[in-house]
Amino acid sequence: MKEYRIGAVTTLLGMSADTLRYYEKISLLPVVHRMASGVRVYNERDISRLRFIKRAQKMQFSLKEIGDLLSMRENPQHARDEVRVLTQRKLGEVEEHLCDLKLLRGELQLLLNLCIASDEGCPIIEGIDQDEHSA
Amino acid sequence: MDPIKVEVFSSPGCAKCGRIRPVLQLLVDELGAERIEWREINVLDELDYAVALGVLSLPAIAIDGELAFRTHPSTRALRQVLEERIKAQTT
Repeated sequence: MKEYRIGAVTTLLGMSADTLRYYEKISLLPVVHRMASGVRVYNERDISRLRFIKRAQKMQFSLKEIGDLLSMRENPQHARDEVRVLTQRKLGEVEEHLCDLKLLRGELQLLLNLCIASDEGCPIIEGIDQDEHSA
Repeated sequence: MDPIKVEVFSSPGCAKCGRIRPVLQLLVDELGAERIEWREINVLDELDYAVALGVLSLPAIAIDGELAFRTHPSTRALRQVLEERIKAQTT
């Protein structure tokens, strides 16, 4: 299994080393394996958990909720009733958010299409084109 | 019998959108004003409604709350759809 030192994880996930250590301290991550020198070594399972935490934080879930969802993630067949209820509720929130995002995506796409099709041309798209050419 | 509801999605900067009005008016006169009720919608006023129907470019036409044409239809295609709807209502 691939292993990552803390610096590689911070680069990969855009999380600070302090944040990673904090997640371990509050048990969002199980105790991370350490080399003989004491350096933390994260495995793919840790990375997967951290990605889950990031996604859940983008949805404004609290750390407590994320911890409960992670316990469900570890052992879905034997999750406590309240964690199952929480997971169901959070699924509803994600689906609602997804509907909003799809609508927003459509609105933005339509606005860009209108801009492209306008007689005067599209300053937004032309600006993007210029940025790409000058990059 | 409820009239067929036709919604034409347009916007002020859309050059093609203006061409659809006389075509639609012609068909309404031909097929019966009592059978077709139409309105033009500026998408910028009802952006969320337009997107919910699936409008992504203009002009677009919805019939009875469903997107029927994603772009400017030919007169023939529009007439055919309207005639089919009228026929379905009367049978």
